[in-house]
Amino acid sequence: MKRFIVRRIISGILTVLVVFTLNFALVKSAPGDPITSLMGKETDDPVLREALMEKWGLDQPVPVQYFNYLKNALTGDLGTSIIYNRPVNDMIGERMMATILLGLTSLIIAFVLGTLLGIFCARRDGSILDNTLSTISYATDAMPSFWLGLMLIILFATKLDIFPSQGMYNVRAGYTGLQYVLDVLYHLALPCITLVLITMSGYFRITKSSILQVTNEDFITTMRATGMSERKIFNKYIFRNAILPTVTMLGISIAFLVTGVSLIEIVFSWPGIGSMTLTAINQRDYPTLMGVYLVMNVSVVVVMIITDVLYAILDPRIRYD
Amino acid sequence: MEHLLTVKDLNVTYVNKNRRVMAVRNVNMAVDKGDSLGIVGESGSGKSTLAMALLRLHPKGTEITGQALFEGKDLLAITKEEMNELRWVKIAVVFQKAMNALSPVHRISEQIEDIYRVHCPKASAEEIKTRTLELLKLVNLPERVYNLYPHEMSGGMLQRVAIAISLLHHPQLLIFDEATTALDVVTQGQILKEILEMEKTLATTRIMITHDMSVVATTCNKVAVMYAGELMEFGMVKDVLTHPHHPYTQGLQGSFPSLKGDNKKLVSIPGFLPDLSKECKGCVFAPRCSHATERCHKEKPPMVKTGEAGGAACWLCIGGEENGK
Repeated sequence: MKRFIVRRIISGILTVLVVFTLNFALVKSAPGDPITSLMGKETDDPVLREALMEKWGLDQPVPVQYFNYLKNALTGDLGTSIIYNRPVNDMIGERMMATILLGLTSLIIAFVLGTLLGIFCARRDGSILDNTLSTISYATDAMPSFWLGLMLIILFATKLDIFPSQGMYNVRAGYTGLQYVLDVLYHLALPCITLVLITMSGYFRITKSSILQVTNEDFITTMRATGMSERKIFNKYIFRNAILPTVTMLGISIAFLVTGVSLIEIVFSWPGIGSMTLTAINQRDYPTLMGVYLVMNVSVVVVMIITDVLYAILDPRIRYD
Repeated sequence: MEHLLTVKDLNVTYVNKNRRVMAVRNVNMAVDKGDSLGIVGESGSGKSTLAMALLRLHPKGTEITGQALFEGKDLLAITKEEMNELRWVKIAVVFQKAMNALSPVHRISEQIEDIYRVHCPKASAEEIKTRTLELLKLVNLPERVYNLYPHEMSGGMLQRVAIAISLLHHPQLLIFDEATTALDVVTQGQILKEILEMEKTLATTRIMITHDMSVVATTCNKVAVMYAGELMEFGMVKDVLTHPHHPYTQGLQGSFPSLKGDNKKLVSIPGFLPDLSKECKGCVFAPRCSHATERCHKEKPPMVKTGEAGGAACWLCIGGEENGK
């Protein structure tokens, strides 16, 4: 087990390095540059351009830029945003909380609700309720998240005026303490509902089909033949075998948490990483963009390692070596 | 003499939205204490359905009529709780696919503890282990098996574990549902030998469901031949296998090679199983039978006595008009 974890960590570090390099190459090879965004459309002063290039180190050869960035990144310094002239670490730090709040809240709700409904419907396979929920799950799965978000805005914000359509808190009110928390939750409702509706169907269907499949396995018949109670069979043998694919899916979802919520952040003007990334892409803000990519990259790898280890603990058939 | 298990007019019908498949029809049979009954038949003949119905492990929506008296209690009529009390203590079963007979993510020891505690909730882990190791020795498995996961064992080992588990509570009736079918001939031979060895010390009654005549020939004293959900012939193994009365039994025999004697050409029975969702007026085997007369197609033959303890459902056996060639 120890060796398995060490090996997964080493391969994880290598993955991060490779992706880091690819990201650097990709960002560099994209047309346009941050200096143009910085100077504006009208001004094109070669002297100013040169001075700015020198200031941001863009005049140096690409390999030198790469190693300088790598060296800084290894010490935890992601550099300074060319457009905003602020440390990228701070910018990501501020925005990360908003993204995690939205992403993790909706993920947990979707996971718990989806799994419970999946278990519920698996035990009533073929009932009207099961058929209804299954149909709805196909529909929500096929919906584009941004479209659903817009529809919910039209219905709940514009028409019914129950929830705010954008932002994370009321900027004018300047709430503090409990009032601020409640205000954030109030703003969280619509984007969170959108994400839950979109992601829940996956957990619902994977749990349901997994339970149905395990229920028909021969070892469940064996357990029934021994006279074991249905409750014990379900709680111990069916559940433990059926949970495996759900764990894999949860791991993938957590890993892609940041990327998954980007579109919704933009639709609801949620001040998270997603909307910041979009701006950074448009302005060719290399340090910010690279910083965001690196954080996503590391988080994907870390969560995948955790999922792998967890899976190896849950399923003895996975070989450690 | 009181039979251990008496099956009376058993009918099992799988009900689907628009189809009713009559998988087992009007089966009567009796098993005495100490018997080893082989139920043979080709795939789809209803032999496993029969076993599942006796164990009440049939899928939802299955219609069962008739009686299955076990020690005076009707297995098909008693409550779920009463049935659960009988399970594994009185009647245990070993299934066809040993590879899937145990949960892949739990250790053998954990599963055995759970199974043992179904009927002895207060049994200590020590006690269960001692009992299991005893049984593992009986089926020639090393003690270390106890702490393994199913995927760490071979098919033969798993089959032996399944047999050991079935013996946990000294059941009176043991049902082997195609238990050795998935194994290679050598392992199958070994396990069959072990079963026979075991039975010298344990007083169990065994029902062996198989499509392999040779398994019946080596391990059973009685045999029941099923075809398309109906009982064709039954009797002592030595009688039925040497002098089969029913043309179907004869056909089955002709399709197995003989170790001794001449190299006879193997004969297969032409045709296929009939559609079990349709009512059949005459003898179910008539369409494939080379001796079938007009009467066979129109009227169902009754079970008639053949020899001392046997019977065959065939018009040809009625009135001494025997057909054993």
